[in-house]
Amino acid sequence: MEVAVMKNKQNLSYDDENLSFRNKLKVFRAMHELTQEQLAEKIGVSRQTVNAIEADKYLPSLGLAFKIAKLFKVKIEEVFVCRGGTDES
Amino acid sequence: MDDKKYRQVRVLVVFFVGVIMAISLLRESFLLSTAGIVTGMLFLALARSKTSISLDEREKTIREKAANLTYAIFAPTIGIGAFLLLFPTHSGLSVFAKGEFYYLESLGMVFAYLALFLIAIYALSYHFLNKKYGGGGDEE
Repeated sequence: MEVAVMKNKQNLSYDDENLSFRNKLKVFRAMHELTQEQLAEKIGVSRQTVNAIEADKYLPSLGLAFKIAKLFKVKIEEVFVCRGGTDES
Repeated sequence: MDDKKYRQVRVLVVFFVGVIMAISLLRESFLLSTAGIVTGMLFLALARSKTSISLDEREKTIREKAANLTYAIFAPTIGIGAFLLLFPTHSGLSVFAKGEFYYLESLGMVFAYLALFLIAIYALSYHFLNKKYGGGGDEE
């Protein structure tokens, strides 16, 4: 499995270079028929932040990730996917 | 008032203060420049009080990284600058012997104290934030 390293692009706090992060925010947003602006308003951030998260340029904080998962009524792992690391199950 | 309008008001106020300052410079009027600055500050304070400014986490992260980068560049630069200005003076190199560049020693001293001040502020703020965010406790 190809592992993408995005440490220069995202707000990573991990030292493991084999971790990669993806999110399905755009998919869930489309499912709920929300614009970026509307989603940003609901979770209390700017539209630029939503755009950055969808483009995998910014890794949201844990609190924000939970807020997003709660809004879409799904588990956090369904929205944010982490691959790689030492304990991949 | 939202964030966007506040930014527009801020640009207008800055432009207004700039124009007043230019006029006061032409007329050499200290009173006019003071009045312009005070008026601008009052307008900004009033506009800010009516605005709900929300800072999202990405903006905070960007500001933190920018401040970190600024410190990382600025502190060594003025430290090295201070060294380069003070060392020739104290080593007695001929270029400074005549006293033509005497002001450079004063400038070097200012830079040196500024560098020390920056390092001291960084150390104090690091210590404070380390305690605030739970660092330094005994291992259980």
